[in-house]
Order: sequence, then C-alpha cells, then structure tokens
Amino acid sequence: MQLNINGEIFAVADGDGLRPLLWVLRDELGLTGTKYGCGAGICGSCTVHLDGVAARSCLTPLAQAAKAAIRTIEGLAQMQPDGSVRLHAVQQAFTEEQVPQCSWCMSGQMMTCAAFLEQNPAASEAQLLDAMQNNYCRCGCYARIRKGVLRAAQLAAQPAGTT
Amino acid sequence: MSATPPRKWKFSRRKLLIGLGVTGGALAVGLPLSLPFARLKIAGMLDSASAPAGTMPKDPFVWFEVTPQNRVRLYLPKAEMGQGVHTALAQIAAEELRPAWEQLEVLNASTARGFDMGTMSVGGSVVVSSLYNPLRAAGAALRLMLQEEGARQLGVAPEKLTVAGGVVAATADPSQALTFGQIVSAKQGAWVASKQEPQLREPAQFEFIGKPMPRVDFAAKITGAAQYGFDMRLPNMAYGAVARAPRMGAKLLSAAPGTARSQPGVVAVVATTEFAGVAAETRAQAIAALDALQLEWSEGDVVEQADMEALVTVQPGAGTVLQSAGSVAAPLAAANALRAEYRTPFAAHAQLEPQAALAHVLPDKVLVWCSTQSPGSLRADVAKAVGRKAAEVEVTATYLGGSFGRKLNVDVALDAARLSAAALRPVAVSYTRAEEFQHGFFRPPTQHVLQGALDGAGRIVAMSHAQASGNVFPALVGRLLGADFGAYRGGLLRYNIPNRQVTSQPVALPVPTGFWRGLGLLANVFAVESFMDELALSAGVDALQFRLQHLPQDKLGERFKAVLLAAAERAGWGTALPAGRARGLACSWDAGTVVAQVAEVSVQGARVQVQRFTSAVDCGVLVNPDIAAAQTEGAIMMGLSSTLLEEITFSGGQAQATNFDRYPLLRLADAPLVETVFLQGDDVPHGMGEPPLGPVAAAVANAVFALTGQRLRRLPLKLA
Repeated sequence: MQLNINGEIFAVADGDGLRPLLWVLRDELGLTGTKYGCGAGICGSCTVHLDGVAARSCLTPLAQAAKAAIRTIEGLAQMQPDGSVRLHAVQQAFTEEQVPQCSWCMSGQMMTCAAFLEQNPAASEAQLLDAMQNNYCRCGCYARIRKGVLRAAQLAAQPAGTT
Repeated sequence: MSATPPRKWKFSRRKLLIGLGVTGGALAVGLPLSLPFARLKIAGMLDSASAPAGTMPKDPFVWFEVTPQNRVRLYLPKAEMGQGVHTALAQIAAEELRPAWEQLEVLNASTARGFDMGTMSVGGSVVVSSLYNPLRAAGAALRLMLQEEGARQLGVAPEKLTVAGGVVAATADPSQALTFGQIVSAKQGAWVASKQEPQLREPAQFEFIGKPMPRVDFAAKITGAAQYGFDMRLPNMAYGAVARAPRMGAKLLSAAPGTARSQPGVVAVVATTEFAGVAAETRAQAIAALDALQLEWSEGDVVEQADMEALVTVQPGAGTVLQSAGSVAAPLAAANALRAEYRTPFAAHAQLEPQAALAHVLPDKVLVWCSTQSPGSLRADVAKAVGRKAAEVEVTATYLGGSFGRKLNVDVALDAARLSAAALRPVAVSYTRAEEFQHGFFRPPTQHVLQGALDGAGRIVAMSHAQASGNVFPALVGRLLGADFGAYRGGLLRYNIPNRQVTSQPVALPVPTGFWRGLGLLANVFAVESFMDELALSAGVDALQFRLQHLPQDKLGERFKAVLLAAAERAGWGTALPAGRARGLACSWDAGTVVAQVAEVSVQGARVQVQRFTSAVDCGVLVNPDIAAAQTEGAIMMGLSSTLLEEITFSGGQAQATNFDRYPLLRLADAPLVETVFLQGDDVPHGMGEPPLGPVAAAVANAVFALTGQRLRRLPLKLA
C-alpha cells in the first residue's frame, strides 16, 4: 500500500487496512512528531491533515488514509530551494508567543489550527477559538494557545514574503 | 528518526570540559537543600581518545564543554519536562561564562557521564534555586580560565581583556580578539583552574538572568523533531506489552506462556509470578498475545470508593504534630469556636505522554531511554530488574511529555528491560491511556478538620488543622518529620495566631498513591484558606483585611503583605463587579515562593466558570520572567482542572476511569483570562513549578461562596 505523506510517497505493508494511521506513522514510518495521547479521539494530540482537513489519526483506518493526501507536523514547515526551512504561520506564531511547555500536545494543536486557517481564512476570532476546543493541553498553556492561534491568523493573512 | 546509541564518553583533542561537582545535594523533595560548596573539577584538555583513569570527576553535576567549533555545550542532568528548566539553567550558566546566546547548546546528560543517583532528580520546585549559585560559580571559573589562556595567546595581560559574547578581546583594542573556540583550539598543554577568585556580576549587570530569553527546546518541539521516551527508535526493535492485574493488589499466583509464543509476530515471552509480558514485531501483536498467556491472579483488594473515604478521615487525637504554639484545647472548646471539614479526592496525573521507555539489553551493557524525572534511581532499578550491575546500565532521560510527578517512578523502563533481555533485541514499552489510569499511581485523597476561635475583637486566638492523607510511597522514601514527604505542603499555619496546631495522619491505602505536582499543596491550601474566609466572615471583616491583620511581623509577613496587596490591586478587589460575578482571595507559601491569587467567577446552572484569574507571585530572583509567567499560567490551569473537574473513583478494585471520557480535563473554553504580577522579595530564586498551584482551589471556592452563599468544602467543587 502506498501513502502520500507530506508530498512524498511511502510504501507500507498491506496487512490490516483497519490499523490506525497513528501507529503506521509512528511505528512503521518513524514519523514520531504525531503523538499518542488517548487513542479515543478525545485529546487531539494525534491530529493530522487528510486532504487539508484535520483528522484524528488514532481513529483513522489506514485504508481510509491511503485515499487522501496526508500531512503531518513534519510537513508543516516548508523546505526552501536554498535549503533553509520556512516555518508555517502557526509554527512561527507559537514560537513568537512561546506557547508550548512539554509540547506533547502541540503537534496536534498546531495541525488543528493550521487546517482550520487554511480552510477558513476569513474566520472570526470566536470561530478560530472554537476550532481549538477539542485539543487538551495538560501543561495548561491555554492562555498562550489563545494568543498563538490569533497571531497565526494574523500571520497567515499577510501576503507571502512579508513576514 | 532512529536513535543512535550515545557514543562512549570520550574526549576529543583540544576540547575543554569542566565539571561542577556539588556536595551535599540530596533527593530534591521540596525542602531547602543545603549545598555547602561547589567543587570545580576539570577534565581538562585530553589528548587520548578516552579519559584517563583518575581524571574523571566522581560526581559532576553539570558539564560545560567548549569545542574548537566555538560551540558551548551545557550537559544538564535535569530533565526538561516542559517547565523550561534547560533554558533557565542555561541563562544562569551563561551569565558568568558570557558566551553568545546563539552558541549555547543544552543537552540532556545520561547516567553514563557519572551523574550520581539522586542529584539527577527533578521535583519539588527546587532545581533552579539549588543550582543558582553553584552554576554561576562554575561559569565564572571557566570564563577566567578562557580569559587567562586568551591573555597568553594574545600577549595581553588578563586584566586588560574583556569577555563578552563568547569573545575574549583587548579592552583597548577590540580588534585583538579570540573566540572561545579559537582559544580552545590553540591551547597547548593542560588546563588548570585559575588562582583568581572569580568576581560574580551584580544583578544590575545581568545580561541573561532576569531576561525573557526564548526557550532553547522549542525549535525541535515546534517541528515535531524533539524526541521523547515514547519516540525512541532503534533498528530491529520490538514492542512489548505487559499483563496487568485485574484489580488493585492482585498478584500472579502462577504464570505460564500458554500459546503466547506461537501467536503472530511474537518474539519473546516472559511468564513468571513476578512479571508476565510479551514482545512482538508490532504493538498490536504484543497486546493481542497477552490473552494467550496462562495466568492465575490472586483476589487482590476489592477497593470501593466509600471505604477509601472512611479510611482517609481524621481520627481525633491521632497524627504527628507538625506545628504547635501555645495551647489550642481550651479556646477551641469555646461555644463560639468554628469547625469545618474539607475533603479532596484521588486524582490522576493525566500527563499526555504516557509512561514510555526503550531498553536494549546487551551482553556488556544495558541502554535505556526513558521519559523520566529520576534517571539516577531508575538506573539502579533497571540493574536490579535484569540482574546486572548499575555501572553497566546507562539511562538517558529524554524530553518528557509532561510528568507532574508521574515519571518519578517509571516501571515501564523495567518492563522494557526485562522483555529486551528475553528478546535479545531492543524493546519499547509504553502505556496505553487505560494503563495510565488503572495501573499507575494517584494523588492521595485528603481530609481536613479545621477549627478556629475568635476573640471579641475579631482576631483569631486559636486555630488547628488536622489532616489525613493517603500515604506517599512509604517504602520508597520513608517518612520525614513523621509526615509523608510533601503531604503536609501548604498545610502549616503561617498566620500570627498565638495558639495553633497542625497535625498530619498518613493513612495506608490499598491504592498506590504518590507524588503529584505540589502534592498536598493544593489540598491543604484549599482547606486552610477556605477556612480563613469562614473565620473572616464570622469576624465580619473583609477577606483581604482579615489576612493582613494576621500576618506575622517578619520578612515572610512582609512578603505576604506585598503579594496580597498586589493581587488585590490588579484584580480590583473591593471594586464593583457586573451582576453574576464575584471574587475570592487566597494565598500560600511553598518552596520559598509566596503567592496570592484572586479568582473572579460566574455560575451558569450548576457550572462554575472562572472568568478571570489574577496572581501576585514573589519567587525572589526571576531567572526568566516569561518562563515564570508560563509556569504560573500552567499551574493555574492544572489547579482549576482539579478544582472543577477531576476525581478518580474506585469500584470493584479498579479506578473507574479508563480514558478522558470519564476523567475530563480543563479545556480552552474553561480557561480564564490570566494576569500575573511578579514581585521580588528575596535575592535568590525560589520555586516556580508548583507554588502557584497552591491557592487556586481556595480562591475559586471563596469566590463561589461570595457569589452563591454555598460554602463548598469538597473538591471538585459541585454546586447544590
């Protein structure tokens, strides 16, 4: 079976098509930036994009994921032609606002925010915060997550090259 | 993504290494540590490929390394679990060494570098305060060595040189300059420590301490590259799963492999009455094969919730006296004396990265990577589990995906080592969320009896706090002062009251209980500071004024006064609020830090919503104000989650929660606006990771009372 992850094609064993995407990413492909937190779709730590939409990889069967373009935290920043890395607006914003603490949940937080902003560039502040409701942060970074996602929306709204 | 085994510790040519040994360091448990002096140890410039015997420090605490490539590496034996400790310690070290911030790298040390057991542990909010002066002294000593060697190489007297930004330059002619890397590259012969006594900077000169330096771990964390224990990978690794007891206290009476060995993907089976588990090619195969083991368990303890509460109940006249002044008996027997009982539940740590470790048991050594707060003691435990010498075991503490006390005790590494020994391959073991909830340990439940008596002028003449708490790893750490380590935190009466008494009763429970962020702090302050409001109401005095009237006339009293006034002012204490809102106030002392907080709440149906939360914190010297603010914000959110939501209950010998559906955590929508003011009432840094958790529950409960008239004496708070 082939998977399109972050624009690259990865081959994985066919095997059980129901096995969760999360463990295929982490254990079979070594993409450990996507985190396990609950395995039940509650905490949001495992959030990835399927065709640009945020999805809980712990509940996504491999066979379903194989039909979509998959994006993980490892593919959020863009490698530039000169070899430098250009952070996504969300990563830039979370760095500026010094959002994380332990950061185990942050891949999921950033992927949730990035998908929402890309799908809803004109979203209101309330809509954006609402999109972040189902991601737990046990370190309690919520005050900064709020600042971080609002800053990300600002950065995302700026034309490329001005940041 | 694969983890390469750490290279054998050896020194390349022309590299300056300096180790700082600290004597008197002990397991950090929230008590003032005594660190009598810092000893400098120099591994020096070594020409041989590995360190000659006798030159390695026996108990280095922190390593500095200056490389010819002009990097300054700081090997810290303190695990980064999100609290920003790597950044804060790097700031302290850099202050006297004076590198450029950009040339600093912070690395996790492993036990192979000689770090002693105990000194590597993090906990009790004492890491930064205990290392503040020793790290500065070591940085200064290293700078002097570089300055003196730079002087020799430049042909300029050392006192005519300036060190800044990682460059040693002639003060009169900055074009005459050498970088740290150049000095180390050109050094001939052995390094020796300077005979000069290094002069430490005055606070007004600080370049790094007190500045909001950005976190050194975020570049890796933001891109998903940071590796935690759960992320460690080695070629040819297998995954392990462990048979868990069906209820608390159940032990294996017999264990046999059954058909487990022939299950798909299984590479090793261990079935003894001490431990039963399976290693397989995949995580799912390992878990599935557990069912094929033949196991017989003892009955265990049929733990029921009501029994736990009955056990954790203050027994009159029992317990260890932790604080006593005057005599409380007569005044508390007066007819108008107040009495109230408070209770807090079992709670889970619920750190989002479950327990996880990777172990590779080899013929001559055992390598372990683990999300652990205490790699030193883990090394000894792993050695015992697989029958090896501690010296053969190397434990590397990875980044921790949260801990809050949970990863002080990481059996998962023992599981991984046992399975690796059987599989002859590296084995990773990680807990599922259900294992976290059902097979970890919990914050102990508490019960508190508060009594107080007022005189005719509304002053407290007598007060007592009798506390019962589930005990805390009694076998592991023993007891201190007759009370469990930490169970009494926040429980002493720091007000100026002529007759006062505090007692503590540790209770053995059939449920494993242990450290949890601040441990007794949240529970004790909830009881004591709620009761202070009850007394203030009885005296007919405003809650702020009542506290101010009872502060001791000393430095601590002054620090309390300052934070109380600052929090009250920032929160608008005493000013009008919109209808449906009210404020509550509470304060506490912990790990040297004084905190006052004001909660502003509203109520929707049976739901308490905390709208705004203001803190004034005096933690002495602020090493990094932004990290201190982040720690305060995080402690508040965790405290609010405990105050409003969290409770572990038992039925039939098991915790009823198996996932977050039955143990919900605070969400973004529940998070109040937070505002924090920092005051500096002391000239050394004090604890930051836990102290701001102290007053959270009491401040909210006091606000709920002000709004609704309901005095809620049990966590989580539930409106009638």
